[in-house]
Amino acid sequence: MKKGLLAFLLLICVLAVFPLFLRDPFLLHLLIMIMMYATMSIGWNVIGGYTGQVSFGNAAFFGLGAYATAILLVNYNINPWLGMVAGCILSIGLAIIVGYPCFRLRGHYFAIATIAVGEIMGLIFTNWDYVGAAVGIYLPIMEESFANFEFHSSKIPYYYIILMMLLFAIAVSYAIEKSRLGYYFRAIKDDPDGARSLGIDIQKYKMIAFSISAVLTSICGTFYAQYVLYIHPSSTMDLMMSIHLCIIVMIGGIGRLFGPVLGAFVFIPLMELTRVYLGSEGQGIDMIIYSLLVITIAIWKPQGLWSLISKGDK
Amino acid sequence: MEGVFSQTLVSGILIGFVYALIAVGLTMIFGMMDIVNFAHGEYLMVAMYFAYWFFVLFGMDPLYSLPWVTALLFLLGVITYYILIRPIINAPMLSQIFVTFGILILLRGLAQYFWTVDYRMIPQTLTSGNVSIFGIYIGVAQLVAAGGAIFCNGLIFWFLKATRVGMALEAVAEDKESARLMGINSDRMFALAWGIGIATVGVAGTLMSSFYYVFPEVGSNFCLIAFVVVALGGFGSVAGAFIAGIIVGVVEVLSGYLIAPSLKFMFVLLLYLAVVFIRPQGLMGRK
Amino acid sequence: MRRFMRVFFAVVMILSFTSLAYAQNEIRIGVIFPLTGPLASTGQGLLKGVELAAEVINNQNNLNMPLAKTAGLPNLKGAKIKIIPGDHQGKPEVGMAEAERLITQEKVVAIIGCYNSAVTATASQAAERYGIPFLNDSSTSPGLTDRGFRWFFRTTPHDDMFSENFFIFLDDLKKKKKIAVGSIALLYENTLFGSDSRKYQEMYAKKYGYQIVGAVPYPAKSTQLTSEIQKLRSYNPSIIMQTSYTADAILSMKTYKELNFAPTALIANDAGFNDPDLIKSLGKDADYIFSREVWAKDLSAKKPMIKTVADMFEKKAGKPMSGDYARSFTGMIVLADAINRAKSTEPAKIQQALLETNIKADQLIMPWDGVKFDPKTHQNILGKGIIVQVQKGERYTIWPFNLATKDVIWPFPKWDSKR
Repeated sequence: MKKGLLAFLLLICVLAVFPLFLRDPFLLHLLIMIMMYATMSIGWNVIGGYTGQVSFGNAAFFGLGAYATAILLVNYNINPWLGMVAGCILSIGLAIIVGYPCFRLRGHYFAIATIAVGEIMGLIFTNWDYVGAAVGIYLPIMEESFANFEFHSSKIPYYYIILMMLLFAIAVSYAIEKSRLGYYFRAIKDDPDGARSLGIDIQKYKMIAFSISAVLTSICGTFYAQYVLYIHPSSTMDLMMSIHLCIIVMIGGIGRLFGPVLGAFVFIPLMELTRVYLGSEGQGIDMIIYSLLVITIAIWKPQGLWSLISKGDK
Repeated sequence: MEGVFSQTLVSGILIGFVYALIAVGLTMIFGMMDIVNFAHGEYLMVAMYFAYWFFVLFGMDPLYSLPWVTALLFLLGVITYYILIRPIINAPMLSQIFVTFGILILLRGLAQYFWTVDYRMIPQTLTSGNVSIFGIYIGVAQLVAAGGAIFCNGLIFWFLKATRVGMALEAVAEDKESARLMGINSDRMFALAWGIGIATVGVAGTLMSSFYYVFPEVGSNFCLIAFVVVALGGFGSVAGAFIAGIIVGVVEVLSGYLIAPSLKFMFVLLLYLAVVFIRPQGLMGRK
Repeated sequence: MRRFMRVFFAVVMILSFTSLAYAQNEIRIGVIFPLTGPLASTGQGLLKGVELAAEVINNQNNLNMPLAKTAGLPNLKGAKIKIIPGDHQGKPEVGMAEAERLITQEKVVAIIGCYNSAVTATASQAAERYGIPFLNDSSTSPGLTDRGFRWFFRTTPHDDMFSENFFIFLDDLKKKKKIAVGSIALLYENTLFGSDSRKYQEMYAKKYGYQIVGAVPYPAKSTQLTSEIQKLRSYNPSIIMQTSYTADAILSMKTYKELNFAPTALIANDAGFNDPDLIKSLGKDADYIFSREVWAKDLSAKKPMIKTVADMFEKKAGKPMSGDYARSFTGMIVLADAINRAKSTEPAKIQQALLETNIKADQLIMPWDGVKFDPKTHQNILGKGIIVQVQKGERYTIWPFNLATKDVIWPFPKWDSKR
């Protein structure tokens, strides 16, 4: 763990000072995407890694965060930061509504159910005129300011905001690991019957894990909406995004604190750089590479790449 | 509009047979080794591409390339088992989910890279055109696909119930340990199940290539539909998958017709959720 | 360390000189189209249209259009246009990322794009944020020019103008050809393009007194359209007005034939129905379809230059010119003309020159009255559309009747009859 902590602190320092030296917009964009996905993946790790409930529908929380912000801003002129809070509340709501019946299901059934819920959300939003249906919502270009959560002359403010969110997610994750909550989550994952016999309310704790996961994902949705200024169902509620979160955590190290961060640093550059440098001829190469990584890790090193850096207590 | 209603119903039943065929492979594999093949839809996509390439490169109509594609897919299934599935037969569920998921992405990535994302369609097949039965117009391709699916399903059912090898497969699915005591090599049975399971998708894919567009993501919808069919029919039940397939096909087209075509898929997914909450073992499943 | 600094400095100097160097000899124009994905065939053709225009500009050609007769841009010492393509794959977020990449990495001075209205919206948003001129050659969603953007310019007429064309055409059929038209049903793809078309079609139907009995949307990347067309049929319409991209246009025609559904007339709103690949895939089954078009080759009866350019395009692209490709060609010409008049590649000067654009009708290969941008919305107010019909595998202008080269064939024959 010491080695891991050192690596982590080094990473944070580099990330913090990076924009002071390198201002290339594309590199900044890449790092922003890495940090955003890392944050969401940490969210997934809470429900999938710590608690062992594989969800393939987390993109729905991302979408809710994005849409809540956008609609409140466009229709009611409500500040995006408040919109973020609204998005979190809606996401927790969804987590509870979905979790209540679905958590009674076992393993594979649950995973497929989360796919179903995610897809249903996507279908509803694609056909619902109030949220712009398939066309989506264009966020108004407002004067750039922190209060407005919009910046145009430079990406750097966005960079620091998402860095803060990432640190927040890591802090939450760390707090869970060290607390009784984390102990309960792991008990549910490793030995649910044992946990039940200890008197742990499994349903309640699964719901808590899912809600935390929802919030961490939802804030990223809000961030995305304010960053890109255009959202629509296929960019915010897509099944592939949910799958990407799982893959990131799987590659990086499932159930480990920094696993999702490492995974994001491997996965996102792979995806973005192959698109930019290989263009349309290279389409699919990134998928081939990370799918082979996932398969190899799943078969031979299920603890993920982080276990190569630090053995940890698993 | 009575004519249109019955026409819609018929097309739902016809596609339902094909759904049943796709689901049969999935349910066999799950029934035997408790593994959900998340990549099932991608094998369908591969089969459709093979049928397309057989047409473009060798001028073979899908009806003629059917045995070839099926054989290739059987081989693919067996290879998948030996290389990727056997190592994780006893691994935790998380690993199993991720391996088949990894296969999903791998196949899709390979398709995107080698065959590009552009849409492909076989322009003219032997089964083009339509026939009129009792005033209902049905595409010949859809009719042939349904017929092929029924035949194939029947073949598998007969194989499992009436042949020694088939009964051995069922025995392993029922109780691995007892089967081993009776001298049945479960490893070989698993490989056979994978082979047959993927081969059925080969048949379905070839038949469907006459009337569907082919592109790398075409597998995802069918995969979800297959899950619904398997859940509804009961994980592990071949007969259940057959009946469920028809039900799902009908639900899909009727909800599209009566409510809204863009939401028809949603009702199929809601059906899955309903089944899994109310009757988790499905119509004819075990456990 | 000192040696490193010297080498580093030298490298920086060399790089800055080379970038200065290429700034003087070439004018970098970013072009974003759907080069892969379901719209790949259209996207590739659009790119070829822009490339052809660049060739016309960069070399000497005897054509009566801006910059054709000179090599390169005369006011910029003969500097040549260099096209830098970007592929948006049909996805708005990719279009936006590509616009950013072209602006920040490739240092383009202007962008042309993107065909899909939804992608044009996001890509132009990026350009607006960076202050780079964006010329929309072929996206027709009216909302694009309602955003108050200062860097966005559109040469093509938009769907509001085009939708009205449909109903003026129907009125003309009634008045001049004594053809009465019954109820109308709509089938449309559910992104920005289709949804807008529906909105305006419903608006003008009411205004002109026609009855719309049903409207069926479908997801843009459908694998089958049986349910949708069954639903359409249940409304019992006389005419279908359809808005589709190429893949779905082809699929829908096959489905109509399979289900033996033949309306009295099928009137399409451009896009997929005007793609030459439609006729190639469907053969005789594409006959008798009407489509609102922006251009047709037979317009060269009145303007021979059109045939010359169309032939050049066909030789270059291996497929016939279409309204979409004619517009991407025209977009490049208009943009280059402005850059030339600006005498500079500075974005603000190009923007000013675009606002002053005034190209006459006889210098265009389009059936427009000219190119002139409204000072507030930056929409070309001199554009207009035509209606074509496919007859024996070719598209002919059949409306306005004074520009028509063939007569209207009505109704759409049944599928099993001799066509």
